[in-house]
Amino acid sequence: MRSWPHRKNAFSIPKPSIRLSPCTALSFWLSLAGGIVLYFSFLAGGAPDTGWFSYAPLAERAFAPGTGVDYYIVGLAVNGAGTIIGAINLAVTILLMRCPGMAISRVPLFVWMTLITSILILGAYPALTAALVMLLVDRGLGGHFFDPAGGGQAVLWQHLFWFFGHPEVYIMILPAMGMISEVIPVFSRKPIFGYAFVAGSSVAIAFLSFGVWAHHMFAVGLGDTENAIFSATSMLIAIPTGVKIFNWIATMIGGRLRMTTAMLFAVGFIAMFVIGGLSGVSLAVVPIDLAVTDSYYVVAHLHYVLFGGTMLGIFAGAYYWFPKMTGRLLGEVLGRWHFWTAFVGLNLTFLPQHWLGAVGMPRRVFTYAADTGWGPLNLISTIGAAILAIAIAIFFVNVVRSLRSGEIAGDDPWDAFTLEWSTTSPPLPENFATIPAVTGRRPLWDRKHPELRDAR
Amino acid sequence: MRPPADAIATLSLIVGAIALLIFIGVEGALVYAIWRYRAARHVAGEPATFERNRRLEIAWTAAPAVILAVVFVLTLGTMAEINGAGVAPAMRIAATGHQWWWEFSYAGVATANELHIPVDTPVDLELTSADVIHSFWVPELGPKMDMLPGVTNRLRLFARRAGSYDGQCAEFCGIEHAWMRIRVVAQSRAEFDTWLSAQAAPAPHGSEGERVFLANICVNCHAVRGTSAAGTAGPDLTHVGARTMIGAGVLPNDVARMRAWLADPERYKPGTLMPSVPLSDADLDAVAAYLVSLR
Repeated sequence: MRSWPHRKNAFSIPKPSIRLSPCTALSFWLSLAGGIVLYFSFLAGGAPDTGWFSYAPLAERAFAPGTGVDYYIVGLAVNGAGTIIGAINLAVTILLMRCPGMAISRVPLFVWMTLITSILILGAYPALTAALVMLLVDRGLGGHFFDPAGGGQAVLWQHLFWFFGHPEVYIMILPAMGMISEVIPVFSRKPIFGYAFVAGSSVAIAFLSFGVWAHHMFAVGLGDTENAIFSATSMLIAIPTGVKIFNWIATMIGGRLRMTTAMLFAVGFIAMFVIGGLSGVSLAVVPIDLAVTDSYYVVAHLHYVLFGGTMLGIFAGAYYWFPKMTGRLLGEVLGRWHFWTAFVGLNLTFLPQHWLGAVGMPRRVFTYAADTGWGPLNLISTIGAAILAIAIAIFFVNVVRSLRSGEIAGDDPWDAFTLEWSTTSPPLPENFATIPAVTGRRPLWDRKHPELRDAR
Repeated sequence: MRPPADAIATLSLIVGAIALLIFIGVEGALVYAIWRYRAARHVAGEPATFERNRRLEIAWTAAPAVILAVVFVLTLGTMAEINGAGVAPAMRIAATGHQWWWEFSYAGVATANELHIPVDTPVDLELTSADVIHSFWVPELGPKMDMLPGVTNRLRLFARRAGSYDGQCAEFCGIEHAWMRIRVVAQSRAEFDTWLSAQAAPAPHGSEGERVFLANICVNCHAVRGTSAAGTAGPDLTHVGARTMIGAGVLPNDVARMRAWLADPERYKPGTLMPSVPLSDADLDAVAAYLVSLR
């Protein structure tokens, strides 16, 4: 997913292509290498067995003697280096390499979100890299950063990890928010409502996201004062998030909605992300968090954000930009099957988990007592997961079929607004034969409707 | 005082009701927009461009801010309440997390996995860990609290009704995290006092099982007060027969299951730090009978 903005930005804000930049190649190959190192641990004597968060001291050599955690450390550090280089590349491209007329107040919102995401990466990933190096020193060189017996602190890992980990949530969701901010206006036949507020709310989210990390740690025992402060900052972040949702709905109101598969997924994003957002606010309420943190309630919450949000947004982007990437449209009939199976599957899988967590089912357990009564809801969850798998399979079938025999897209199949739709599908190696003129936020709309040209 | 779990339940209902109203409002607006502005209903031509409204933006920024301010004030109140503010604990119990069992200590009287507390009494647990991070969680009695090595955390418990409350470790702590169960037994004050004085008594002497137990590696890890066994790596077994379960929940406690557990702990709890001790069948019978007799 992170390689996507490289391609998309290159022609949303046309300038000589960034695709050939060695920086882009380095970013991609480092990210891939990091992933391969992580997966190689399965073949090299055992996967990392301490969870994705790899809490110390469980991840210390004394409790995780295998090599899995070492692969985790090296894999994530290398992958992180690639991500950081990519973020620098994208931020510099967006800030310095826009074509004449493409003011920062005119760039497509997907590009805005990519810029914010890049800045978040630059702030968050170094904290993870530092923590990984410290863990490597503990494991390999007999250090004591996270070992209380040697004067270290177990909780230090959590501070560093979540200082990365919470901005990481926005690093995952903001690009998808950018995608639906492109899709919803085009299929509503209106410009985005409140462009400045959608862009500005992302800046607010980015700023706040570095001040909320300890809401993952309310049960650690930091103290009531610390918990109250992080509770307040976490609640604040709901405000700019709500602003986005209201602006997306306001964009649809008064429009002429074409419910294509891309639009279905974008609307599905809003509908599902609202649920994840509201449960997120409940987790900022410290007493509620102390009851349900590390339970299935949190599993439900994060999947409504990352599946209901990020994944549905990426699917919206996939149906929207696939014709530009390949020259062929993705099938709409299979697309609808894909959407509805994904929508039903995700709700069957994750909705019951709210109840499971609230009545006491912890995360990360492979078994539970029969007399807990958790069986039926878990069964529904399992059925939902199977339906989700079918949804993903339908998507891949659709991609393969459309690549071979999909309808020819033409340059501008959606009657869209932004510059990528003014070039050929797929685009030329240099994207544009000549640098296009930009007079507003919807340059292609302005060209097609000179009499209805945007004011800004 | 009100049990912390009740205070959390009340707050959850309030926050849940607010969330439900917002959910209905936002999803309702979304469904309305889809239904009202679908292309089939639309006359030809491009829709009017309506793309900004400063008053609307201010309204939908300010309204959530006001709602959140109310929720935050409620949060602060409940945080103070579940912490037991103003009510001194009537009893303090030390609780230590181990991979994968619980140690409880009543002023030096140690027991494991089953926590007895008196009803209608504010009890403070003093939580720490002997190895990795664990988290103490009995959902019906209140919030959870992590147990970290090198740190002592405090958790207020308050049970209104007598009975048995189940919970378990809530922080991933290794391979047997799922089999790190807690049972809290809330009793009347008189029953609790009887239980505690029985726990404080040393174990009786003289059985064949005791001889086998003391002659083997059992004593490296386990203590039985009143004997020479004083290991601290595993649970204190002075009154292991009084507990309802073996191995932090894996088996009900009786002689047959105790024998099966001793013969092959790995079978019931893969990854457990308890080794299987090579004992003859007769010795296994004797030790199992001895341990279950320690009530």
